[in-house]
Amino acid sequence: MRWFRRRERDKDLERELRSHLELEAEELQQDGASAEEARYAARRSFGNPTLIKEDTRSIWTGISIERLWQDTRFALRTTRNHRGSTAIAALTLALGIGANTAIFSVVNTVLLAPLPYKDADRLMTVWGYNRSRGFNTDQVSAPDFADWRLQNHVFEDLAASTDVMYTLTGSGEPMAIIGYRFSANFFHVLGVAPLHGRTFFPAEQQPGKDHVVVLGYQLWQSRFGGDRSMVGRTVRLDGAPYTVIGVMPRGVDYPGTVQLWTPLTIPPEAIHDRAYRFLRMLGRLKPGVSINQAQTEMNAIARHLAREYPKTNKEEDAINIISLRQMISGDIRPALLVLMCAVGFVLLIACANVANLLLVRAVDRRREVAIRAALGAAGPRLIRQFLTESILLALAAGALGLLLAFQGTRALVALFPPTIANLSIPRIDQIPIDSHVLGFSLLASLLAGTIFGLIPAFEAMRSDTGESLKESSRTSTGTISGRRFRSVLVTLEIALSLILLAAAGVTLKSFAQLLRGNLGFNPQNVLTARLMLPPLKYESEAQQLAFGNQVADRVSSLPGVQSAGTVTFLPLSGWWGTRNVSIAAGSDANQQRDAVWSSVTPDYFRAMGIPLIEGRSFTKYDDAAAVPVAILSITFARRLVSNENPLGKRLKVAGLKSNVEVIGVVGDVHQLGMTSDVTSEIYFPFSQVPTPLLCFAIRTAGYPMNLANAVERQIWAIDKDQAVSFVMPMADLASESLAPQRVISILLGIFAVMALIMAAVGIYGVISFATAQRTQEIGVRIALGAHSGDVLKLIAGQGLPSVAVGLALGLAGSVGLMRFLSSLLYGVRPADPLILAIAAAALVTSALLASYVPAHRAAKLDPTVALRHEYDLPVIIHFRMFCSKLTLSFLLIFGIANAAPAEERKTITGWVLDSACAFTKGLDKPISRDCALACARKGSPLVILQDDGTVFWPISESMPAAGQNDRLLPYAGKRVTATGKVYSKGGSQAVVIEKLTAANQ
Amino acid sequence: MAKSSSDRIELLQGTLDMLILRTLLFGPAHGHQIAKHIQRTTEDLLQVEHGSLYPALHRLERQRWIVAKWEPAGKDLKRQFKYYRLTPAGKKQLVAEESKWKQLTTAIARIMWPVEEE
Repeated sequence: MRWFRRRERDKDLERELRSHLELEAEELQQDGASAEEARYAARRSFGNPTLIKEDTRSIWTGISIERLWQDTRFALRTTRNHRGSTAIAALTLALGIGANTAIFSVVNTVLLAPLPYKDADRLMTVWGYNRSRGFNTDQVSAPDFADWRLQNHVFEDLAASTDVMYTLTGSGEPMAIIGYRFSANFFHVLGVAPLHGRTFFPAEQQPGKDHVVVLGYQLWQSRFGGDRSMVGRTVRLDGAPYTVIGVMPRGVDYPGTVQLWTPLTIPPEAIHDRAYRFLRMLGRLKPGVSINQAQTEMNAIARHLAREYPKTNKEEDAINIISLRQMISGDIRPALLVLMCAVGFVLLIACANVANLLLVRAVDRRREVAIRAALGAAGPRLIRQFLTESILLALAAGALGLLLAFQGTRALVALFPPTIANLSIPRIDQIPIDSHVLGFSLLASLLAGTIFGLIPAFEAMRSDTGESLKESSRTSTGTISGRRFRSVLVTLEIALSLILLAAAGVTLKSFAQLLRGNLGFNPQNVLTARLMLPPLKYESEAQQLAFGNQVADRVSSLPGVQSAGTVTFLPLSGWWGTRNVSIAAGSDANQQRDAVWSSVTPDYFRAMGIPLIEGRSFTKYDDAAAVPVAILSITFARRLVSNENPLGKRLKVAGLKSNVEVIGVVGDVHQLGMTSDVTSEIYFPFSQVPTPLLCFAIRTAGYPMNLANAVERQIWAIDKDQAVSFVMPMADLASESLAPQRVISILLGIFAVMALIMAAVGIYGVISFATAQRTQEIGVRIALGAHSGDVLKLIAGQGLPSVAVGLALGLAGSVGLMRFLSSLLYGVRPADPLILAIAAAALVTSALLASYVPAHRAAKLDPTVALRHEYDLPVIIHFRMFCSKLTLSFLLIFGIANAAPAEERKTITGWVLDSACAFTKGLDKPISRDCALACARKGSPLVILQDDGTVFWPISESMPAAGQNDRLLPYAGKRVTATGKVYSKGGSQAVVIEKLTAANQ
Repeated sequence: MAKSSSDRIELLQGTLDMLILRTLLFGPAHGHQIAKHIQRTTEDLLQVEHGSLYPALHRLERQRWIVAKWEPAGKDLKRQFKYYRLTPAGKKQLVAEESKWKQLTTAIARIMWPVEEE
């Protein structure tokens, strides 16, 4: 209907204008002009009818779909004529958009995804702030909590929690579970309702009534199969019966890694002890109260408490409020923001490059544009045409970029290793590409398309129509403004690249520093494992002691173990506890200090490689009957006694019945990882202060994991119900604790290299285009006697001013922006002059190289050819060659990135085994033919076990799904020689068997 | 003949609409007549660009200040022209624009030729 009306209106307008022209002509004819003259004169005075028609039509319709389609078709046609440059532009953009989308998808998942809590923005974690220790997330004592809760007017309510480890027994293997004890109001403060059942009643906070449990969704699903009737049933935690009263919905996992919740009971000894800090607070701000307001009021309360109870609270005179969202995304937030900024730069550089390409194309198209303008295409119309082209290109690139991002996000999951515990990083299993991400990449594409499309559009519009039409191709040199545009783009690229390079440089240097950094112990060749002795089963300290010593002895005597010790809180595990320590002889005013404590067995320091600095280490004689002793870390010793000799000092320790005597001083340990400061530490002999939590540190002769099974067997030999968790090399723990730093430095490095390449390409493009335009001039110069060196200088030199300006801007930008990086850096100054110099040198080198190539070509020009030179030919040819080369190399890079697994032809000799046996029987001996046959018949695939222990999986090249048991079955349990193509990927070996013969035993 | 271009006055933005409406106050007219009328009345001082006339006519039509109809005309009534005529809304608009215009010219005149105060 509308379509029809538009047609009608067009016809009507056409008729109206025609009648106008006729009248005009008639009038002129009456004045005496000939019919033909009159018609022409009328037309001349009338102006451009097409334009009038377009303008009038747009009164009624605005921009019509029809015209958009027209522009699109035209854009596609133009694109076909510039396949090379279009491909290179699309790829460049795809890289930029892909990188942006990938990083944004992480930001989307980590920082933007809604928390599953009501009004989550008002949820705050509330911590003690010990200024003298510089520790700003301190736990809170029960009386402090009571005072905070009563005295404040900013929180609707404050809730307390504390972490606890349980061993879940019953059906299935014993399982170590991280639980949290929640005060009864905690779920209410958090703002979640249970999926099934109910949460805690206040009465259930009393000891004896607290044997109820709320299950986390994940545990409920994995352990209990999502059975609704679990509510009301009993589960055994640490051997004691707990009634399941509720199940939380999916996604509720506060605090991270928690699997179930039990009611918080305050032990009688903690009710009035302000030094016993073990609670973690969560508060819900009243509506309209800002964090700052809350912070001010809570600080006042803390100061008041510090004055009132100086003995325990003097140092805890402030409170730190951190929003729940920030607590959850924690350490990763600044890194993500920096990365987001970096990919933004990459996209800008990509835009600059594409704008450059299109500018070159615009010169090529100047005549086309001039003709269109002469035919009545008005300015906005032309810009629309250019924008249609660029946005089409950007959308295509965006689609490609999305594919890249999809690949990229899988790699980015590595940012969030599941075992990482000493950093507050959200747990993330996958990074979805959802509607937000799609919207983002669409927006990025449109924005990019507009940015790089407008520049050539304006450039094309500025050229004078008449001049463009008149000028022959021979004299065409491009407009001055075009050249200026291009050098501005180069300047921009250089500046942005320099900032990225410098950022990548300092981040890499800081990461290297972290890798070299001394954790205070030697993580190499140490196997760790963690166990929690269920308190019901190991009620008495004697029982814990017996178990710990027994296991330590058994593990120490394993072959391959050099030394083995246990510790309460393993460094980097994310677990730690603090105790109040003061010098016993001092007066009451003597300041108490908190120290991270651990009970260790005598060999712990040796196993971890923690140096003994003074005094002696623990021995097996430091048992319950002997004098209570302790060892301090050097920093803590200094803090405690400053310059005095710490040895022989008697200390009063919170929670210990008798004072302890300092017998030794050991090196400092970074308990919470390299990026945090050393903590004050105090160690007790396990025999004197036994704990139900035991972490093993086992120094091994070879690769630690080889001993994992043996260690577990030793533990289970003593107690088959004991859950063992986190069996892993200490080195892995150390490496994972640096995962965010590693990922950010690698990513920044990649982005910087991308920027460098793009900048070099941009410079190359600009210089070679300018050179081609000056071919005739160069020919004249050479003919008049210029040396090739002069030409080289002339050409290579023309890009230098913009490079120099770019460098200056980039340096200024780096110095200005680097401070945002500082929170991510370790032991490096953000604006490191050496790194800035290296980055600048790298840029200058690549800029020189990029301009040398075209300059060299110009210097070798034959003047006779150059003088005859027509502008378009060599430019376009060089340009196309350049584009196709670049496209090829891009494709090559992608090809390498997705490289196929390595393949080679090999002959292997070994035993034909059933795969299950090959792995579980220790990989060392052949098994009986009957066993292999029996297993294979049940469907277990047969494999070839080579003498060196390599397992080869037989595969078929043509039908990947087809098993090869039929071929191997006759040889089951026998030795064979097989020849064929061997594939190896990620440590696994597969063989396409071509020849198979029985081998000698 | 038309005067040389330097004698012509560029129409102020928006005044063309008012002039068209004023011209149509005399009765229906087609585009050519409107253009000629404005030109003749101002002794060629104001030239109506056709590039603005037709978009303006259609704009006014869209706003329902004028309506258009093809009607036979000329000596023999054989040819049809698109005649525009003023609607009541158009008349109201004209009055409004006129008073605005008067205010504007008075204001400008006060600045350009201030009356000496006595």
